[in-house]
Amino acid sequence: MLAGQLMDMRAMLHKHGVIFAYSGYVTEPVLSGVGEALKQKLTIDDADTKTLRSVFAVFVEQMQNIIRYSAEKAQSSPPSDQPSSALMEIRYGILTIGKEGDDYVVCAGNLVVRTDVDRLNSKLSKIRDLSRDELKALYKEQLRAEPEQGSKGAGLGFMEIARRASKPLEFDFTNIDRDHAFFALKATI
Amino acid sequence: MQNLEIPATARTPAVLFDFGQHQLKIKGESYPEDVTEFYGPVFSALDTYLANLGEGQCRFDFELIYLNSSSAKAIMMLMDKLDLAASKGATVDVYWHYDKEDDTMQELGEEFGEDLENAKFHLEKMAG
Repeated sequence: MLAGQLMDMRAMLHKHGVIFAYSGYVTEPVLSGVGEALKQKLTIDDADTKTLRSVFAVFVEQMQNIIRYSAEKAQSSPPSDQPSSALMEIRYGILTIGKEGDDYVVCAGNLVVRTDVDRLNSKLSKIRDLSRDELKALYKEQLRAEPEQGSKGAGLGFMEIARRASKPLEFDFTNIDRDHAFFALKATI
Repeated sequence: MQNLEIPATARTPAVLFDFGQHQLKIKGESYPEDVTEFYGPVFSALDTYLANLGEGQCRFDFELIYLNSSSAKAIMMLMDKLDLAASKGATVDVYWHYDKEDDTMQELGEEFGEDLENAKFHLEKMAG
């Protein structure tokens, strides 16, 4: 029974071409570890240098998006004698890496607050519809710009993913409850 | 001033700043957990060095295999510091080495290079 259940789960992932799957709380050491295994697998697969670097680059940005922005999180209660920066906080998401024909695909999903959906949707639509040169220009502009409010990085992650991808980004949202939606982003390399 | 040498880790590049020889280098991969924590001390050492460079000469080599988007911002800030020193009279040569099989890193180098107005920019292919 147990083997059957897990085997079913594995078979479902396999059917979708998934080679790596991680669902759960993501931390920086998880990124390091899975990233190392991913590099090894791509090397064994004899992927060319550009493909290897691009798949890895997309993986890093997608993982860091979950770590920084997922709206589903577990927190330790704030210790009374510690500054709030000592608060432990981990965020939940799902990430898969697989193959579709000759292409590699990296998919990531996590909860977002519904009030962020419009902003994310228009930002990603814009990036998806740009030509390579337009994307390059926007990347450069953002590199010099102040990161937007709420950003914990350079605000370049989605653009970096789009630049590394060989096909337009795919993304989608589905409402979960009154406050949350599930956000999924797929990059093909 | 004291040289700055930080050995590479899986997620951070090696930093080799030989201030006496005026040869500075960053080499490896860059996707630190915390970009500010890693680049903060690198920026401070560079600031001190450049403030005293005057009309001297220096060479900066970037040999980066991979950098994430947060690191790209830090690299841009490094470039700005070098360009500013050059605008004040220093002779600064910036070498951007890229893996010939990864045109994304070549493009990124070109983009950084376009913004240098006073420092001299050189794009170099690394032997594969």
